[in-house]
Amino acid sequence: MSYLSGKFRPTERGLILFAAVVLLPVFFLPVFPIWHMHLRAPQYPEGLNLHIYTNTIRGDVDKINTLNHYVGMHAITATDFKEFSYMPQLLTLFGVLALLAGLTGRRWLALVGWLAFTGFAAYMFRDYVLWLYRYGHDLNPRAAIKLQVFTPPVIGFSKMANFKVWSYPGLGTWLLGIAWALGPIALLAERYGRRRAAAGAAVTGAAKA
Amino acid sequence: MKRGSKLGFAVVLVATLGALAAGCVASQGGGAAGSAAQKVYVKPGEKDAYYAFLSGGHHGNIYVYGMPSCRHITTIPVFTPEPAVGYGNDEESKAMLGGFTWGDAHHPGLSETDGDYDGRWLFINDMPNARIARIDLKDFKTKQIFGPIPNISAAHACPFPTPNTEYVFAASRFSVPVPNRDVKVEDYAKDFRGIVAGVKVDPKTGTMSLGFEIMMPPFDWDLSDAGKGPSLGWQFFTCYNSEMAYDSLEIKASQNEMDYFAAVDWRAAQKAVDEGKATMINGAPVLDPAKVKGIAYLIPVPKSPHGVDVDPSGQYVCCSGKLQAEVSVYSFAKIKAAIDAAKFEGEKMGVPTLKFEDCLEAKVPVGLGPLHTQFDNKGNGYTSLFLDSQIAKWKVGPPWNVEDKIDVYYSIGHLMASEGDTRHPTGDYVVALDKLSKDRYLNVGPTHPEAAQLIDLRGPKMELLYDFPTYLEPHYAQMIKAEKLHPITVYPLAENDKPGVIKRAEDARVERKGNRVDVYGLVVRTHFTPDVIKVNEGDEVYFHWTNLEQDDDIAHGFGILWSSKNMQIEPGETKTIHWTADKTGIRPFYCSNFCSALHQEMQGYLEVRPRGTPQAAVQRPDAKTIAEINALLAAR
Repeated sequence: MSYLSGKFRPTERGLILFAAVVLLPVFFLPVFPIWHMHLRAPQYPEGLNLHIYTNTIRGDVDKINTLNHYVGMHAITATDFKEFSYMPQLLTLFGVLALLAGLTGRRWLALVGWLAFTGFAAYMFRDYVLWLYRYGHDLNPRAAIKLQVFTPPVIGFSKMANFKVWSYPGLGTWLLGIAWALGPIALLAERYGRRRAAAGAAVTGAAKA
Repeated sequence: MKRGSKLGFAVVLVATLGALAAGCVASQGGGAAGSAAQKVYVKPGEKDAYYAFLSGGHHGNIYVYGMPSCRHITTIPVFTPEPAVGYGNDEESKAMLGGFTWGDAHHPGLSETDGDYDGRWLFINDMPNARIARIDLKDFKTKQIFGPIPNISAAHACPFPTPNTEYVFAASRFSVPVPNRDVKVEDYAKDFRGIVAGVKVDPKTGTMSLGFEIMMPPFDWDLSDAGKGPSLGWQFFTCYNSEMAYDSLEIKASQNEMDYFAAVDWRAAQKAVDEGKATMINGAPVLDPAKVKGIAYLIPVPKSPHGVDVDPSGQYVCCSGKLQAEVSVYSFAKIKAAIDAAKFEGEKMGVPTLKFEDCLEAKVPVGLGPLHTQFDNKGNGYTSLFLDSQIAKWKVGPPWNVEDKIDVYYSIGHLMASEGDTRHPTGDYVVALDKLSKDRYLNVGPTHPEAAQLIDLRGPKMELLYDFPTYLEPHYAQMIKAEKLHPITVYPLAENDKPGVIKRAEDARVERKGNRVDVYGLVVRTHFTPDVIKVNEGDEVYFHWTNLEQDDDIAHGFGILWSSKNMQIEPGETKTIHWTADKTGIRPFYCSNFCSALHQEMQGYLEVRPRGTPQAAVQRPDAKTIAEINALLAAR
């Protein structure tokens, strides 16, 4: 209990503040995409792209929707995703928590923030998989081309009709991943530092003896 | 010892291989390495280095080629209806053609900034109807047809833009009375007049408007070029028939030893018009050089000249007397000095004539039938020789000698060097544009195609690379570096504010006012909305179709059965076409431009009921159709 109410050393506080720097601007400047989908077909040698941000979808949305209508997929529209209306806000909120934890150095605050962030990330990933599942399964039965239901790739490569599809995380996700990883890194750094301090003390003790 | 001999052998081997390689390159004659085939080969998927714009002659359009592959990429309809895309069939282009279905397009003129192609617009003349068209190189579409220019009779010396595209010009090839009226042909010298017109080009929009006209003697005004550098502000026009013959020109117009080229000071002419010194004739401000001095001068040229071409430096004006074997090169500095000193030998209907000897710089013995000259980046001129069927390469400047000649097939008219009429020619290629092809290609009967040859200019000698046919009939052509053009691939739908545009299925409708019916519709893969349209016999139906696609190359067509009504609608574009419901019955329509996997299904029906059948004032697609289309368009 006393561990949780204790404080981090400046090193760990620095790491947590760094995470805050990554998270805080998300709401104000959602500039980095969090996920990409790249589609190629013989007629699209240059490829079609979907870029998912924390607050919207960009890229060749119209072109992809026009193609998708042949197989009866729902049109992809930014307004369908309620996620876009809270994702940037929550990420910035996690940044505020990290900032407070970094400034105060309170272990419990850092831990609560990190756990919440972890839970949120897991939830969002599951949510993304569900969306993909829905797009590939809820097909209009009157569509001109009847497809077997499918789930577009969450990550990696797959082939759908005449399209090859690559799906992969964007720079935003990589940055968020680094911010997330700073949690365990801070704990490890602290433990390592404490062990070294203990070893140092032991060595000093031995010398005195 | 052993090691030393091995090394010696290796050195000899390398030296031998090197000499062999050098021999191979030298034997090709060209400067750039590789065979002629390699030099024109553009790998599948790769693109050409140059756009070439070839006038379509009496086909009335422009052919676009890629160079050096010599592939025909597209044809831009300009003065002639083109049924596939519906040019001249949709209401806007129909209005632009102004009732004409023919034009004779001779001289493309790329817009220029500081005397170099800027890739913004392409102008071209319609000689017989005295019109100039402007093509926007953002979408390769004809945007304006200016004319018929009043008082101009056969705009051959046209358009030849000035170095900053301030003006394009037109001059009468066949003089007529000005104003045209009831006269006798025998009174030619008394009543007929030539006209030179300066047409202003708006620097932002490219829109043309008439600046000035100058009354000239009734000679046959033939070709033109703009001064640049030291000769900036002057436009030059050659003429033949200074004999003023009105019949048997072949003989009668070939008698004078000298004809002329005119030097027109277009800034002075515009100033005179702005000062109110012009007389309005048929709505055009016409200046009379007998009354307004200092706007035009005549300089003698031997033997019925054809082409006039200003060298890249702007110092020399090169005229080709087609009935002699020389190019006469004039020094602009000398012309200017003679004008400034008022050293005239006489005048022709108020236009002062200068002395030949005062202006001439050199005579270059190029060969028989010289017509036109283009330039490279190494101080050479290239003159087409109609009678010799050759191109002569000659030194612009002392010793003014002919350096090389190459055969072409056959009877070359114009020639097109890469950016070869600008201040900075690139010196890569020249294309011979021949009037006869005779035996060069597979026989297709008496209507022979025209012929063209691509020639490499990069080596010390000209090298023939490729021979290709063209359809009737390129005259002048221009070649511009591909990197200077940045055409769009779709029309941005968001910027579409054309009359008749709709962007949502809810707005699709058929509106009736009396017997005028307006159809506001959408086309998108793969349906028309609406696709069932009810009208009555005798209705005048205007279809306004908007293509909602924003994907490259997804154009849709709209063709009505048993009619001449067809057009193509590009992605993001709105076009209007008019059709009269001429007969009671069912009339299918369909997408005439293959668009996608379900293109065959892209069709609709016009239900034409007898006259007077009650029809709703507004028909709309049913809610289910709207919902279906909107589901597809929801992202927009």
